[in-house]
Amino acid sequence: MNPPDLLARCLGYLPQLLDGAITTLWLSAIAVACGFFAGIFIYMMSASKSRTLATAARAYVSIFRGTPVLAQLLVFYYVPSGLGWAIPGVVAAAVGLSMNTAAYQSQILGTGFIAIPRGQIEAAQTFNLTRRQTLWHVEIPQVLALTLPALVSEMIDIVKASAVVSVIAVTDLMRVGQQLSSVSYRPLEVYTLAACFYLAITSLLSLAGRGIERRVARRA
Amino acid sequence: MSSLPILELRAVGKSYGANRVLKGIDLAVTRGEIVSLIGPSGSGKTTALRCMNFLEAYDEGEVWIKGQLLGYRSAGRSERDRDSEKSIAEVRRPVSMVFQQFNLWPHMTVLGNVAAPLVLSKKTSRADAHKQALAALTRVGLAEKADAYPTSLSGGQQQRVGIARALAIEPEVMLLDEPTSALDPELVEEVLSVIRSLAQDGMTMVMVTHEMSFAAKISDHVVFMEAGQIVEAGPPEQIFGNTRTPRLQQFLKPWFDRSLTSVTGVA
Amino acid sequence: MNSFLSLIPRFAEAILVTLEVSLLAAFIGALGGFVLNALRLRFPRWLAGSYRVYVWLVRGTPYLSQLVIVYFGLPVIGITMTAVQATIVSLAFYSAAYFAEIFRAGWASIPRGHMEAARAFGISRWAAFRSIEMPQAIAFAIPLLANQTILVIKESAVASIITVPELTMTASDIVASTYTYIAPYAMLIVCYWLLTQCIAIAARCAQAMIAPSRKTS
Repeated sequence: MNPPDLLARCLGYLPQLLDGAITTLWLSAIAVACGFFAGIFIYMMSASKSRTLATAARAYVSIFRGTPVLAQLLVFYYVPSGLGWAIPGVVAAAVGLSMNTAAYQSQILGTGFIAIPRGQIEAAQTFNLTRRQTLWHVEIPQVLALTLPALVSEMIDIVKASAVVSVIAVTDLMRVGQQLSSVSYRPLEVYTLAACFYLAITSLLSLAGRGIERRVARRA
Repeated sequence: MSSLPILELRAVGKSYGANRVLKGIDLAVTRGEIVSLIGPSGSGKTTALRCMNFLEAYDEGEVWIKGQLLGYRSAGRSERDRDSEKSIAEVRRPVSMVFQQFNLWPHMTVLGNVAAPLVLSKKTSRADAHKQALAALTRVGLAEKADAYPTSLSGGQQQRVGIARALAIEPEVMLLDEPTSALDPELVEEVLSVIRSLAQDGMTMVMVTHEMSFAAKISDHVVFMEAGQIVEAGPPEQIFGNTRTPRLQQFLKPWFDRSLTSVTGVA
Repeated sequence: MNSFLSLIPRFAEAILVTLEVSLLAAFIGALGGFVLNALRLRFPRWLAGSYRVYVWLVRGTPYLSQLVIVYFGLPVIGITMTAVQATIVSLAFYSAAYFAEIFRAGWASIPRGHMEAARAFGISRWAAFRSIEMPQAIAFAIPLLANQTILVIKESAVASIITVPELTMTASDIVASTYTYIAPYAMLIVCYWLLTQCIAIAARCAQAMIAPSRKTS
């Protein structure tokens, strides 16, 4: 193995891996954002007075947390096409990842919601804030501050979980790695480099998370 | 001044399951009147107060605010007969509340807390809301704390912010739920003096309190409750000075023993 | 419904493969994690650094990327394995990092005072460890260990990509050969869900038996 050659080859892989990394990143970002709002919705369902809604929410969380992401993505990709409705891989990936993280985020955000003293909600009620206003202006800001570390952790998990979207024809970081290694016949280099990209992303997220944690702790 | 009650309870009742917490409460509050609810713990006085702005849904009787029925559309009192959130908000608009635990929103500044009901509920513009909020804060003596966060304030200051928040929406009736019970003794007076000055300015108030001297001095009408019922009601001189109800005498005894001067003798 | 039930035999076999691979990997990983954690305290400084690098690498990258490095990348430097071997090795290597952290937290959770009290009453060190420290550590660790095993089972689905005949691969096979999509994938979800539920329930039972008074999270 010749170091200068190795370096040259790695530099050659970089542009495509970078493209793949960008796909991974925005797919993960979409999943995190959709999962956030869906997670709040599912939490509200689980806390609702209606037994049916609460049970449905618990079933949803149980299924999405109790089965592999890959299996979920295969369902979202192939079942619609089996019913005659072909969905592009990216859409199935975005939907699948979002629904998966929504299950986890509903649990994370739920701990935040429970921590808010009931009196603050009553005060909002007294001053005639609507349910939506209370949620948006009183509860969510505090829930976010309380659960940010856990949410960052979840974001990291989403980035890692997104690696399997390569299976449903999405050109993410992992898939680029597969393509490059089959073309170059150098799987060790290519896959290791791809792994480094993932490592960089998760490490940066980790650092950001710790930074945020420190800032929130100072404010409290 | 109209003698029609601005807030009225007629035979109001409330049960939690098999436990009947309120049994037929009648109360009429006229504009400018200060009403104090006193009584032992568990007497239902806080529940009665919370029925007045529908924080608790009463299940018997009627609560009227400025001639409008609060909380229900018609004669029925089940959940199905409840009014829409919008209608309930409309009817209780003239009423605001000060809480025992302050219930400020910790992620907003003091100014933000006071302005929020104006911006979100009364749809005031942000600029106007801030002006009105600042005015309310000045009224309670906390204008300089406008940009501070509630957690950096003392209990007495937080409660005064709570009062400012209740004031800013320009209510016609203020409900106060044991406003000083959660405060260290040395912080009680600053809150009482704000309440006193609001009373002097003519605010209509219904207050649940354990501060007997204060209630005796500022109330127009005092209501003694026990076990979900009004046992005796009348002017302070009667309740604190001249009652013949043994239960009330027993309840007030510790307070009498502690204060050496009679009610009517203090300026 | 018929087509659904007719899949059961093939899926039953696949469940066995999934379980074999996952449980073996989890067992090796747990053992490895345990040893790593026990040694960690006696590590010289530079070795402790490598442990942290190892944990960082394993937890900072997707399991899939680790699997393909082991299965496709290692042959380049002369290490070849079958798909099943590669799965078990990489899964064990992956989970050991998580198990090590679980054991680390478990050990740290035992209050010092308990051991001191035992010594004060003249109970020997080994007896104290066995009857006081160990049950508490185990009771603390069981839900986390069970959870990690569940995570290993879920990650094993990734092995379908290198054609290990586990659950996900089997489902995809059936789909490809029969052109039915709903039944096989529905069965797939059901199988995984049942597996993870069983492990969760088994863990709750085990915890109730070992430490009945301990609150479960």
